[in-house]
Amino acid sequence: MIKNYIKIAWRNLKRNKAYAMINITGLSLSMACGLLIFTLVSYHFSFDDFHPGRDRIYRIVTEIHNENISHTPGVPPPFAKAFRRDFTFADKTARAVTFGNELISIPSSPDNKKFVEESGVACVEPDFFDIFNFPLVQGDKKTALSAAQSALVTEHIAKKYFGTVNAIGKVIRVDNKTDFTITGILQDIPLNTDRKSEIYVSDLSMKDLSEQVANDNAWGDISSETHCFIRLKPGIGPATVEAAFDGMKKKYYANRPGSQKALVFKLQPLSDVHFNPDYNGYADKKYLWALALIGVFLIVTACVNFINLATAQAINRSREVGIRKVLGSLRSQLFWQFIVETALITLFALVVAFGLAQLGLPFINSLFKTELTLHLLGNQLLLLCMLLVFLFVVFLSGSYPGLVLSGFQPVLALKGKLSQKNLGGFSLRRLLVVAQFAISQILIIGTIVIASQMHYSKTSDLGFRKDGIVLLPVPISDSAGRTRMETLRNRLASVSGVENVSFCSQAPASDANNKMDITFGNRPKPELWSVNIKCSDQDYLKVFNLKLAAGRNLSRSDTLREFLVNETFVKKLNLSSPEEVINKTATINGKKALIVGVVRDFYNYSFRDEVDPVALFSSYPQYQQCAIQCSLLHAKPALASFEKIWNETYPEYVYSFQFLDQAIARFYELDDIMLQLI
Amino acid sequence: MINIKDLEKIYRTEEVETIALNKLTLEVKEGEFVAIMGPSGCGKSTLLNILGLLDDPDSGSFIFNNIEVAHFNERKRADLRKHNIGFVFQSFNLIDELTVFENVELPLIYTGVKAAERKKKVEEVLDKVQIMHRRNHYPQQLSGGQQQRVAVARAVVNNPKLILADEPTGNLDSSNGNEVMQLLTELNEQGTTIVMVTHSEHDARYSHRIIRMLDGQTVTQNILI
Repeated sequence: MIKNYIKIAWRNLKRNKAYAMINITGLSLSMACGLLIFTLVSYHFSFDDFHPGRDRIYRIVTEIHNENISHTPGVPPPFAKAFRRDFTFADKTARAVTFGNELISIPSSPDNKKFVEESGVACVEPDFFDIFNFPLVQGDKKTALSAAQSALVTEHIAKKYFGTVNAIGKVIRVDNKTDFTITGILQDIPLNTDRKSEIYVSDLSMKDLSEQVANDNAWGDISSETHCFIRLKPGIGPATVEAAFDGMKKKYYANRPGSQKALVFKLQPLSDVHFNPDYNGYADKKYLWALALIGVFLIVTACVNFINLATAQAINRSREVGIRKVLGSLRSQLFWQFIVETALITLFALVVAFGLAQLGLPFINSLFKTELTLHLLGNQLLLLCMLLVFLFVVFLSGSYPGLVLSGFQPVLALKGKLSQKNLGGFSLRRLLVVAQFAISQILIIGTIVIASQMHYSKTSDLGFRKDGIVLLPVPISDSAGRTRMETLRNRLASVSGVENVSFCSQAPASDANNKMDITFGNRPKPELWSVNIKCSDQDYLKVFNLKLAAGRNLSRSDTLREFLVNETFVKKLNLSSPEEVINKTATINGKKALIVGVVRDFYNYSFRDEVDPVALFSSYPQYQQCAIQCSLLHAKPALASFEKIWNETYPEYVYSFQFLDQAIARFYELDDIMLQLI
Repeated sequence: MINIKDLEKIYRTEEVETIALNKLTLEVKEGEFVAIMGPSGCGKSTLLNILGLLDDPDSGSFIFNNIEVAHFNERKRADLRKHNIGFVFQSFNLIDELTVFENVELPLIYTGVKAAERKKKVEEVLDKVQIMHRRNHYPQQLSGGQQQRVAVARAVVNNPKLILADEPTGNLDSSNGNEVMQLLTELNEQGTTIVMVTHSEHDARYSHRIIRMLDGQTVTQNILI
């Protein structure tokens, strides 16, 4: 019977080539999109799912309850040590501090090879490799990081730095300061983990990397990169642990009642780390589900198309149905015959879809910066997904035409007396067409909304100049670096096309924001809100074209002598005019100085975020960027000069540059991705 | 074999009510060859559809092989039909996508006959209607007479007790028509009951008995042998 079904289905397809082509094209395009979306979504849901006992792994995170609640994935540097000392909830506890974009050099190489590792260097306690399943191919994980100045690198890094030579015992230098000896080689880190670092160094060397983090009393510092991971003992729930944090706060914040009240430590399950935007999770589940829904929509739309086409041409099949019924076919047998026909079309479409998905994969990979692959062999989840999509499409598209066709009255069917009424009437098909249009319109409107939002974000006034500004890194800003900064400024200023040069901690809008407590004038208590601080020299206003609303610009100084604040700052103080803060004092992070001017508000992050109260002040040790305002006409030769001058100023570092408008465009990366995807 | 009493079939639309069969009573004995004649619209085809269990009557009794079948559901009707009744239509009604062999094989598939036996039976019957040499051709590659011979082969492949023929020579020239009538006569001689609707007096003369219908009723019966 089934052979007969397949035979007739195949011959029907051969005979109605145009019909088959339209259906196969429609279904395969939608299924290709579905497959790509599935691959992407399942990739994100597979993040960090390969660590044994992952249900018991948590990251301790911090909620800061001020006027608003803010979140950080970090904890104070001494937290992990104190947790291990004070509690027995966890069988493993590890502090992991990541230093991003670190400069690595190889002292033993004749040409002093230099690399900038975007994924950074992680300084971890030995338990880290008991909590996370990153196996070593050489060395012993129990002892590899037990001595100071020891490091683990991945096979990839070992090959990159030392070629084929065995990397064990070799020395790498971090940030031109600290040498580490490689004591073990890690298997390459899988793509589906948020622990991206490929270089791990012993926590015993923390002092060499950051004195601030190494300070066991620094309970007031919380950096988003200072993490504490724990693996709870079986049977212990996160609520039990969180309840115990109150006692911990009383102990370590005894003389800081404000912090004791404001800080709330929580346990974030490992399964939440990749998804929670509050704690810098990469992929918000909302977006993933939206994407999955788009995939389902596309497939449903193609099915609706199929149903319409199949039902519309059902009349052509009525005589065959009549004959088969006369010859004794049951309705169910006819139904299955049409299902087999649909299955054949769907199978072809699925094969084509798989090919199309393979072609589309490089685009998805470049869009999402992933390295996804589509291999059928060994990927049971993909096979299962394809099987489910196949069955879903077959039954969704095949059942209705199957029911209509198999329901024909044989006498009417044979005589060709069937009308639209026998095809289930217009109402259902109309409904399907409306649904199809609705789905398409939702996607089109979505695209237009995102596109116009992108246009708005890219073209609207952020309150500062963003075009024609080049940002260069300032690798050393200590007292020795100070002289080099001045050399750099003078040399850059002489390049043709350069209008202004300013050193600062970051551009007006940046995703790196530091917030500090503020006490205004003689008010007895700090304000309930915190102020976003930006360190800058006297040329910052000129470079970024920031306007003064009152007072004057900062005067030239190397260290904090006076503050500039923004209009939101004044509003937050409940003062009616900017003039009211001029020549008043403010104490920010324990440093007291005079407010000398008020700048007009500017967006200090994306349009999505409210304008923070901002304070600007001079402090060269915090300068990390050199912002150059230059004429776009001279951009190309100027960039070449910048590189030359920078390399001559900082020969031991690696040059890089960024246009401010491109950096800002990155705030809207997700919108851009969604737009391109739709 | 067929016993019909007071059979009624009325077609209703919103405005008109058409009585297709009006308290019709009829008996067909096993082994008989009956021709039904009458003007268009007298109810011949309706009667044939009811006899073939393709349509059900509104009232009255229809006894087939001593079983009352007037109100059988679709499944029971299909079951009875595929085991007992063969059809021959004026327009042949072969499936274009299937070869001669496959068309004839179809009723055997629906009755669940095994592949090897199907092959044997189909070949036998194709031999009988002398179309074996065209077994792998598609219907559109055959002449009208050949197509009707295939249709007859399909109707008899299951050895039905009853063959219902709806103007079997209507689309054929006289020589092909005669061939088909000869085939039906041979089948009848081998014991198959045949009920044939026809407009042709010539064809009707192949039968044992002619029933003439008018306005949904039988009016005369001519016994030819």
